[in-house]
Amino acid sequence: MGKETSTAPKLTVNIMTRLKENIPVVVVSIFSIILFILIGIKGGAPQLLNVVVTGGMWALLATGLALVFGVMNIPHFAHGESFMIGAYVAFFVFSPLNKIFLATGSKFLIYLGPFIAIIAAGLAGSVLGVIIEKFVFAPLRHRTKDGWVMNAFLLTVGLSFILTNGTTLALGPNFRGISRYFDVPSVEIWGAFIAVDRIVAAAIALITIGILWFFLRQTKTGRAIRAVSQDEIGAQLVGINLDFIQTLTFALATAMAAISGASLLFMFQAYPTVGLTPLYFSWYVVMLVGLGNIAGAIVGGFLVALLQSGTQLFIGLSWQSVVPTVVMILVLIMAPSGIFGSEVKGVQEQ
Amino acid sequence: MNSTATIEEKATVWQKFVSVINKIGFSPLGLVLLIVVAVMPNFYPFSQEYIIRWLIMGAFLAAQSVAFDFTAGYINIVNFGFAALLGLGAYTSGILANTTPFLLYAPGLSPWLTIWFGALVAGLLGFVLGLLTLRLRGIFAAVMAWFVGIALMGLVNNLTDLTRGPLGMNPVKFIETPNNLPYFYIILVMMLIIYITLKLVVGSNIGLAFKAIGQNPDAARASGINPTKYLVFNFTLSAFFAGLLGGFYAHFFGSLTPSTLMHTSKTVEVLAIAYIGGRGSLWGGITVAFPFVFFIEFLRSNLSSLPGLHLVIYGVLMVAIMIYYPAGFSGFYYWAVSKIKGMLKKTT
Repeated sequence: MGKETSTAPKLTVNIMTRLKENIPVVVVSIFSIILFILIGIKGGAPQLLNVVVTGGMWALLATGLALVFGVMNIPHFAHGESFMIGAYVAFFVFSPLNKIFLATGSKFLIYLGPFIAIIAAGLAGSVLGVIIEKFVFAPLRHRTKDGWVMNAFLLTVGLSFILTNGTTLALGPNFRGISRYFDVPSVEIWGAFIAVDRIVAAAIALITIGILWFFLRQTKTGRAIRAVSQDEIGAQLVGINLDFIQTLTFALATAMAAISGASLLFMFQAYPTVGLTPLYFSWYVVMLVGLGNIAGAIVGGFLVALLQSGTQLFIGLSWQSVVPTVVMILVLIMAPSGIFGSEVKGVQEQ
Repeated sequence: MNSTATIEEKATVWQKFVSVINKIGFSPLGLVLLIVVAVMPNFYPFSQEYIIRWLIMGAFLAAQSVAFDFTAGYINIVNFGFAALLGLGAYTSGILANTTPFLLYAPGLSPWLTIWFGALVAGLLGFVLGLLTLRLRGIFAAVMAWFVGIALMGLVNNLTDLTRGPLGMNPVKFIETPNNLPYFYIILVMMLIIYITLKLVVGSNIGLAFKAIGQNPDAARASGINPTKYLVFNFTLSAFFAGLLGGFYAHFFGSLTPSTLMHTSKTVEVLAIAYIGGRGSLWGGITVAFPFVFFIEFLRSNLSSLPGLHLVIYGVLMVAIMIYYPAGFSGFYYWAVSKIKGMLKKTT
């Protein structure tokens, strides 16, 4: 009995000190719970599910961004262009494929079509990632070390310029999109009708993140990637092939962006500058949680989606870009290394 | 005896002249080129209106790159919201000079006056931005400026009573004339004012402090430089001139929309010119901007079947320069000059 009474205050003190150490996290959690409830009251189930769908996508995009920054120290500005390429590939694979499959009349094939398109987009994305890494970042890495973060950032800016305008050059500025992947009626969840495409997109985002998480935690290559993100020289000392890991990371990140571009084709039609909005939002996420923080990026994706949805509901659709930006500016002022902080090398160097 | 004395005298007069123009940031060659550009539009084939328009755009881009390089090349912070600052100046000036009744406010001041108000407002925001980025370095500062730029563009898009949002507004022009020539001289004078002012600042002790902060803020602080002061000063001045240029844009083109003016891609264009011209030189951007605009406009008018080709070339050039020749054009020039001097010494 005596023991219990002595540990109880100790425990509360413990929790209190922990809370004090993580004030940003506490503030953000309370704020997001309130926002979640408010959105639930005002918008109901459809809005909440919307948060889950967009949140999953921002999380998928932001994990790629965090991965690239964590492992290669590249603040990736051309991430939105990977999204754009994914959307294009999905469109060009899906539309002819769908025609062929519709002609066969087989239900299985018709439902398989979208998945083939999304997987093709992922593959195309990884190929693009390898090409970019080998032709742009590898030469820069061999040439210069000082001021790397800033130089790499500006390089990706140039890259985004090339990819956007190259697409305009090759395919023209036209919009290419589909109204939906799955030609089936909406599903009723909690009294709200949700398109199957949205559910599939959310599932794809969560499954991809899950696979990535498993890959990083459980496989040897995944551990090597995390090792490089923690200490480049140390990783080299234990025999990790740095070039391979960096190329792999970049390919993975690009593929993830391409997958999200492909699975959101019904929301974001494919056109050369479609990547801008996803780029903004994935950057909000990584700035919110701390550059290079992969686990944080997953949570952050949903937080930003919550904020976006809240702005849309309570302030207005056109303020969607202003309010989150202002919040991010405040975050940058008060906690420059993000609410969860990041212990990745190179963040403070530059 | 007599002849050698006059030669020496001539030499000293020449040297005096060179040192005077060096102080305001010109080499003899640069001065000659500037005069050539200044008189160019008076002679055929350069007196055609469309070529004068190209020259105006060249000077506009050149002036922007100078103001941009003042931050990026010296204190080593890439101001990613540069275009938004420019747009803020443009909109402020446009609104204050507005006489048409579609807006709530129609003060109808002279554009010659309002461009300075625009510059002041942009400078004020630059001051705030400088304070905001104080604790941040490198990529964080760039992202902060970027976010501020996005927020500003969103504001302009949303405050439709004031700016008409995405529909765009049409500010009055400086002069009601079908000729472009007066505008060319306006922007040329603006460019020179900006260049000479910034060159004088950079040439003084303040410039040294900028470079020290750019290379290593902690070391700079340790040697008695107050980074706060210099950083904020740098941002304010750069933003002030960006706002001034925005005012020119507003009253020259006579049409403003947020997406053609304040978009991030506009910052990237300026950034590309400043980097191709050479970081930390100020003049590099000017020498590159004119041929570049000509080249790009030439491509655009002759290969109109391939939209976006000129921008792809833009990007490729920027990426190639960053990877393989980070010193840019000014670095190449200094290298070539030192080579030629070395060769001359060997022969004599």
